[in-house]
Amino acid sequence: MSSGRCVFLMGVEQALEYRVSFFLSMLSAVFPIIIQTTMWNYLYRHSDAAAVFGYRHGEILLYTLLATIVSQLVGTGFEGEMNSDIKMGGLNKYLIRPMDYKGYRFFRFLGQKVPRVMVTMPVMAVITGAAFWQGLPVSAGRVLAFLCSLVLALFLNFSIFYCVGLLAFWLTDVDKLFGTISIVLTVVSGGVFPLDIFGGLVEKLVNLLPFGYTTQFPVNIINGRFGWARMGTGFAFQIGWIFVFACLGEVMWRRGIRRYAAVGG
Amino acid sequence: MITVEHLRKDFTYYRKMTGIKGSLHNLFHRESLTKEAVRDISFSVEKGEMIGFLGPNGAGKTTTLKLLSGILYPTDGRIDVDGFLPWERKNEFKRRISIVMGQKNQLWWDLPASDSFYLNKCIFGVDDGDYRDIVTELSELLDVKELLNVQVRRLSLGERMKMEILAALIHRPDILFLDEPTIGLDILSQKKIREFLKIYNEQWKTTVIITSHYMADIEALCDRAVIINRGQLVYDGKLGEINQLLGKRKLLSLKTSATVDPQAWNAFGLAREVSAAGAVLEIPQEKVKETLTAILAGLPVEDFTVTEIPLEESIARFYQKEVAMP
Amino acid sequence: MEVEKVKRIGRYFRLLGVFAKYSLMSALEYRINFITGMTVEVGWMLIKLLYVAIIYKAGTNIGILTPDHILLFVGTYMLMTGFYMLYFGNFASLPGMVQQGELDLYIVKPVSLQFLVTLRRLDFAYLLPELAAGVIMIVTGWRLAGLPAGILPVAGFVFYLVCGCLLTYSLFLLPYILSFWIVSVGGISDISNALWDFNNMPSLIYGKWFRRIGTYILPVFVITNFPGLFLMGELSPWACVWGVGAPALFFALTRAFWKASLKRYSSASS
Repeated sequence: MSSGRCVFLMGVEQALEYRVSFFLSMLSAVFPIIIQTTMWNYLYRHSDAAAVFGYRHGEILLYTLLATIVSQLVGTGFEGEMNSDIKMGGLNKYLIRPMDYKGYRFFRFLGQKVPRVMVTMPVMAVITGAAFWQGLPVSAGRVLAFLCSLVLALFLNFSIFYCVGLLAFWLTDVDKLFGTISIVLTVVSGGVFPLDIFGGLVEKLVNLLPFGYTTQFPVNIINGRFGWARMGTGFAFQIGWIFVFACLGEVMWRRGIRRYAAVGG
Repeated sequence: MITVEHLRKDFTYYRKMTGIKGSLHNLFHRESLTKEAVRDISFSVEKGEMIGFLGPNGAGKTTTLKLLSGILYPTDGRIDVDGFLPWERKNEFKRRISIVMGQKNQLWWDLPASDSFYLNKCIFGVDDGDYRDIVTELSELLDVKELLNVQVRRLSLGERMKMEILAALIHRPDILFLDEPTIGLDILSQKKIREFLKIYNEQWKTTVIITSHYMADIEALCDRAVIINRGQLVYDGKLGEINQLLGKRKLLSLKTSATVDPQAWNAFGLAREVSAAGAVLEIPQEKVKETLTAILAGLPVEDFTVTEIPLEESIARFYQKEVAMP
Repeated sequence: MEVEKVKRIGRYFRLLGVFAKYSLMSALEYRINFITGMTVEVGWMLIKLLYVAIIYKAGTNIGILTPDHILLFVGTYMLMTGFYMLYFGNFASLPGMVQQGELDLYIVKPVSLQFLVTLRRLDFAYLLPELAAGVIMIVTGWRLAGLPAGILPVAGFVFYLVCGCLLTYSLFLLPYILSFWIVSVGGISDISNALWDFNNMPSLIYGKWFRRIGTYILPVFVITNFPGLFLMGELSPWACVWGVGAPALFFALTRAFWKASLKRYSSASS
């Protein structure tokens, strides 16, 4: 466990390294929220948007505020590093370490999340508090459920992107492809807009596919859109998908490492 | 052609603390430090001259070249290159100079070198006819004529360097700065580039300043050397004279037919190397004849040679400041 | 003197042509990378299209703009994004070049260093999808909204597009020039790029003061809103002038800042 702790601390340090950049990057994440909030306010004021989109004004605003934060909180970025580990033979040094590669990646991922969590948690608390003030049904139970779903979302997103990173065993030139995957998955996770506003088939797909469970699901718990029954199904899907991707990652890793050894790293 | 007086260049950089505490510290406060890369250098170069800049790593050779070519602003002192102040970076000035750096490349990696040449032609506004002549002529001299249409990334290091040099000469500069042009290259490429530079300098009377780690480069090309150490000029003069400054000593290598007592050599001079088959002695030049006669009379010498002390070694002594500036 | 100047400008355009040709040739050496590059851009376009989809689904006007007008505005935004992305890679690599001393061999060339460094590599993989989608959206929005299609409106629209390109280049280069002064510009460039996204919606959606700041102080709104507003005849005479003045002003500012900053270039290592 202590090697896990060490990798974790290195992640923290790396994330803190660049002084102003760190704060400004956080700040730049606010801009899309301003744009979206402005748009929603306009639409809700000038049309019967609640009926069209199925979200009440308060729900969609809280969604907008929190989705970006959650999306960044569960977001990865280690796929590129995995690619270079696999392509440049950097994997060798992990193969002889006492910690397995997946464990290394996971603790490093968590470590890099810490500064972000420290900044975003108070922000989320303030936003949620304000929402409560505004009359949204925020309760202690709901907050707890939200935090649980967030932790599961972190696991799920890690598992998904770990599989994405492992694609580097089979594909060359993946750096840009990873970029595409990352953007598209952010969109289909509901990281920009909740996709169930489009209703019908889109909504059904969002509920079945794993991606919404990394962002859209936790946010819809805290903004009060989902009832307890809906949450139950959601948690089942979340855990189920984590299991599926963990297995997929295991299979991919075994096959990949065999291929890696055969090619000679 | 080039005059440099009391040139100085300082660099400011920041100390970075390590560890998590250091990162937090750097977040709010950074400590700035100053490094004097070039301290007080003066020299001048005549038109058509080819001089060598020697010095260990970090001595300030490259910094001096960058100051001469206008890449860097001097902190203090005066530079005049062909009537221009380099740091003003006038286009007229840039047309007259060129710089090649062994560590940096200007060629487009994924395209044939000829495309990069063409780009330089456009940048410098060289006439079509002149351009064709130069490329044909120089590519023949450098022995890369067949490689002009091969992507740069497929070329060997030596071939790439030849192309870099060619690219730098498209506009026929009056002054050429070469920074470690043969670094990391195989012996054959080094030799070819040396030959080329020699011919080029003679034919076009281009003024050349070259820095190199390889003594052979400087020995083959330059009559004059400027030695820089720790940002200061320690020697400026004929390359051949460096040895004389060191006290005109020679190396006497001897080969014996039978084993000689190692102690016996010390009677004749400073024994640098001793083995069962012979020895290398360092002796003053005026005593060569006398010593040799004595050795031949007393020891079973089979063969011998008299050589100069290698230039590398002489320079190394300058670096260590064993010898004062004349 | 004038002839000299025209000749010089002509040379710069010729060089730009060579850069474009070489960039494309280099890119086509790695076809897979070129295609995946396009998919990245398509991914980003997806987000922009979501905004349009929401507007159409809501079916409301934004001030004087119908959803069809908004389609044209967002199309303009995409087109401009494509043009920005065409040379954005050069901006992004500027900090690294400054830190690693890679400007050396560009400084000694008798052409504007800024020109060489900021326009040398052109990324067509990013331009093409945005260009295609942008043009389609502009044309569709134009027709659906029933906007005039004579020579004058089209010429004016294109003119303000060109002005917008110049403004984009100038405005968004500024933060990257800071890399001569500070070690890490990641945060500032993040902010400026986030600023760009404000154009995802027509400026009319924002509040009055917000719009004024975005038009006259940090004129990002000028870039994608003026062509469309001109077309609708909604650009006041003063704004018509500002649409030309802002690019000129910011270009001059960028030039001055670049020149001042270059004195700090230390070429790194030795």
